[in-house]
Amino acid sequence: MPDLTGFHPDSYRDCEVYQSKIKKRAIMFRNHIKIAFRSLKNQPFFTLINTFGLAIGMAGSLLIGLYIYDELSYDKMFADAGRIYRIDMDIKFGGAEIKSAETAPPMAAALQRDFAEVENTVRFRILGSNLFRSSDKSANIKELSTTYVDATFFDMFGLELIDGNKETALKEANTLVMTRTAAENHFGSINVVGKSLLLNNEDTYVVTGVMEDLPKNSFLKDYSIFMAMAGNVASRENIWGSNNYFTFVKVLPATRMDHFQLQLDGLLEKYILPWAQKTFPGMTAASFAASGNYIRYHTIPLTNIHLHSDNQIEMGEKGTIQNVYILSFIGFFLIFLACVNFMNLSTAHSLKRAKEVGIRKTLGSNRIQLIVQFLTESSLISFASMILAVIVAFIALPFFNDLAGRTISIPFTEPLFYVAILLFTMVLGLFSGSYPAFVISRFIPVETLKGNGFKNGSKWNIRSMLVVFQFGIAVFLIVGTLVIFQQLQFIQNKDLGYSKEQVLVISDSYAAGQQVNAFKHEVLSLSAVKSATLSSFMPIASARSNSSFFREDAMDQKFAIQMQTWDVDHDYMKTFGMELIAGRGFNNQSVADSTATIINESTLTTLGLSAQEALGKRITEDVELGKPVFYRIIGVIKDFHYESLREDIGALGLFLNKSTGSMAVKLQTDDFASAISSIENIWNEQAPGQPFNYRFMDDAFDTSYNEERRLGNIFIVFTSLSIFIACLGLFGLAAFNAQKRTKEIGVRKVLGASVSQITFGLTTDFLKLVAIATAIALPLGWFVMNIWLQDFSYRIQISWEILAFAAFLVILIAILTVSYQSIKAAIANPVKSLKTE
Amino acid sequence: MITIIDLEKYYATEEVRTIALNKLSFKVREGEFVAIMGPSGCGKSTLLNILGLLDDPDGGSFIFNDIEVAGFNERKRAELRKHNIGFVFQSFNLIDELTVFENVELPLIYTGVKAAERKERVDAVLEKMGIMHRRKHFPQQLSGGQQQRVAVARAVVNNPKLILADEPTGNLDSSNGNEVMDLLTELNEAGTTIIMVTHSEHDAKYSHRIIRMLDGQKVTENILADYKSSVAP
Repeated sequence: MPDLTGFHPDSYRDCEVYQSKIKKRAIMFRNHIKIAFRSLKNQPFFTLINTFGLAIGMAGSLLIGLYIYDELSYDKMFADAGRIYRIDMDIKFGGAEIKSAETAPPMAAALQRDFAEVENTVRFRILGSNLFRSSDKSANIKELSTTYVDATFFDMFGLELIDGNKETALKEANTLVMTRTAAENHFGSINVVGKSLLLNNEDTYVVTGVMEDLPKNSFLKDYSIFMAMAGNVASRENIWGSNNYFTFVKVLPATRMDHFQLQLDGLLEKYILPWAQKTFPGMTAASFAASGNYIRYHTIPLTNIHLHSDNQIEMGEKGTIQNVYILSFIGFFLIFLACVNFMNLSTAHSLKRAKEVGIRKTLGSNRIQLIVQFLTESSLISFASMILAVIVAFIALPFFNDLAGRTISIPFTEPLFYVAILLFTMVLGLFSGSYPAFVISRFIPVETLKGNGFKNGSKWNIRSMLVVFQFGIAVFLIVGTLVIFQQLQFIQNKDLGYSKEQVLVISDSYAAGQQVNAFKHEVLSLSAVKSATLSSFMPIASARSNSSFFREDAMDQKFAIQMQTWDVDHDYMKTFGMELIAGRGFNNQSVADSTATIINESTLTTLGLSAQEALGKRITEDVELGKPVFYRIIGVIKDFHYESLREDIGALGLFLNKSTGSMAVKLQTDDFASAISSIENIWNEQAPGQPFNYRFMDDAFDTSYNEERRLGNIFIVFTSLSIFIACLGLFGLAAFNAQKRTKEIGVRKVLGASVSQITFGLTTDFLKLVAIATAIALPLGWFVMNIWLQDFSYRIQISWEILAFAAFLVILIAILTVSYQSIKAAIANPVKSLKTE
Repeated sequence: MITIIDLEKYYATEEVRTIALNKLSFKVREGEFVAIMGPSGCGKSTLLNILGLLDDPDGGSFIFNDIEVAGFNERKRAELRKHNIGFVFQSFNLIDELTVFENVELPLIYTGVKAAERKERVDAVLEKMGIMHRRKHFPQQLSGGQQQRVAVARAVVNNPKLILADEPTGNLDSSNGNEVMDLLTELNEAGTTIIMVTHSEHDAKYSHRIIRMLDGQKVTENILADYKSSVAP
């Protein structure tokens, strides 16, 4: 006989009881779902508003969530990303303080040699945009981001080649590795190892590898061509004073970064001072420090670069952690607002169901069952909302990407995405259903059956506070939006010290080679052209470097001046409408002017001279290489903004030198199209086969504020969303309130109150809440936006008009939202409302 | 004071048209105390709503103080109502959020009486009703009888010519009910016209005249024996 232990009649009965329990639960659950469906169906307007409001909130926060996820994921895909750091540098020299992501060429070798915990290093020397063509073609294609890189590149970041051998690629000078897209652009194929490319019509490079395009969420996302560092002569020089190399280091596992930092601090004594003493004999660590100067190296983890770097120049476009915080804030509150709405509307709606609850309770339903029933309903709505939200987000994604300047996609193939979304939906359903369920299940049957609904004691209930909260957020976001846009407006209209209107910039004019002067000459002969200038230095934010200069009468490092040196031609100031405040401009006929300079006002300050005193004085560059060349100051130019308005205007000297990177053309016509096509024709004659790239100076200027503009646009969209959601909530609460006060309104009308008196009364009740919200949110918005503005050296004052306008707007919106319900309640016939006895 | 001739009122749903008042006619003279009786659904409340200018008849004539008011719009009715008519309801209809004083004050606010005078008049009427000591209480803190006194106080504070009472004792025990009826009688003796809907034969005996209704029509009308000598027990 088989042993039937555990199969006694008793346990069998237990089993039966258990089964019937399950059955009962299943029936109960089916009943809940059924009732939920029907009651939602019976209230299409309520269900629609509720689902729609929640869906909008969910879609908004879903997009923001994806955006933040993308921002936080930067550079994490690289193998060993956790062990990779970059050496950054804070430097103060000659009055200028610079935060630099670039360090000296011998840095990498020194780390490799002296630091036991270093496993690998790699350097990038950015070349920016360059023209390439395959040797069998005559037309160039412009690659926007190119760089020299050490051969350790692949090992460092765990990158593979799809064609070529990564052990040997980039070892030899004049070899390069390109991305799949670049290979397809130049050769129409990806099997191109061994083929050659011509760089800027001059140097021949051999392709030694093709790699996949770099991830969109990495610091290398823009780079398409990597050239062997061996071809960069300066990279082998032992110069610690020129800082042009992005240097990355991979440390061994379990390296203590505080020890690493101590060793970095030692580099000053070991390498930099001995090198500097060649120029400044007798300089010691003490004397260097005493002069107020410093060089401090530190490391930044690779994965922090995108959001946490505060260097002026980075390898790629960087995000800011502030924006992530701001967006998290907006995303969180969006979803919170949507939940609050849901609660308000559900509670309002529940009055209609008070009788149902009364009957259920009378028939023996307990409170838990009621709560479960209402939570089932809210979960159903939450679930429907999420489906709708994903659809809305999917449709809105291209616009959002456009707005945010990203290429985010919804990870439909990621199982984790569904898990996260389902969890989120459930939590949201339970959360937003909790308060209504709690309130409704509390109804006392006898009261509700009599139709009295439930009594509401204090005026300051949860719902009122939620409304205050919702509108506080709305006011805050409105203030934020207004301030951002006013600041952008301010930047756009700021007098920059030069004229950016009607200035066309033709980039890569050097591609015309020897013909570039002829090109300029012919362009000048066009009647639509007022003036033209050739220079690689345009007065917009861009990667440029400082040099140290010394006054002839003070050749001491204590008096070093950090200034930018721009090579320009004699038409430069005329083309940009820059103003001289002393002296004269360049004369291209004068040989003496090749050793002359025109400085800006900021340089005067550093020199400690007045404009008149400065004229005729001579300055010289770093005296290290042989005998110094002196430049005579022949003019002083009014300060103009050549960096972003976030920065102060720094010292700058103009030098008369051939520099043909770009040509700026000042037009004197409104017919831009024909002027451009005339110029293009001349270009095609003078530089056949070379791409003609141009943009307008004011557009170029605007693009340097893309990050702000994006933030502004994102703010506008999500501010509108949150206002919309807040209004839905207010609408719901107004309905709720009108319903709750039906009897009271009836009594008042019987006693002689007019429609306008009642409408006014009901509306002001809500306006009080909105006014409180405004009073709290305005100072908060003012405070936070002032912090945001601190980023700009040139900024607006937040005026009372902005605050007043935000308050006005939100109150107007609130009035419009509430008055519908108020008027509806006020014109209702009191006979009907009093009859519900 | 009130003359209604062939008054008609219908209620229509999608399928059924119910006749609430079917060519009803009667008169009420100034200073009268009239009780209207009849079973549920006979049209008493509808009649009271029309008499109280809360609702508009569908046909017939309603002359109030020599003015034809049938067809008046909401605004005109409200104007006439707030100066001439006070209401007493079965369920008191006090506003829970307002104190006794504030409840009684309400009609004066809507007729535009100044604050100082309002206080004086509210205090006077509270005194008269014997609920002065409760002036700062909220309705829930009072007994039913006290609540109905407040309601009566509110109904008379404007010195209306007409008081309409809809089962004023319906929610009260008999001793509280009698008190309220005594109160109404006193008001009537002081000159206020009263029209009262009631189910209670006992209460009806306080009146001068009983109009009995059925299916929207007047069935009988009895003038009580002691009318003119007019002192109720």
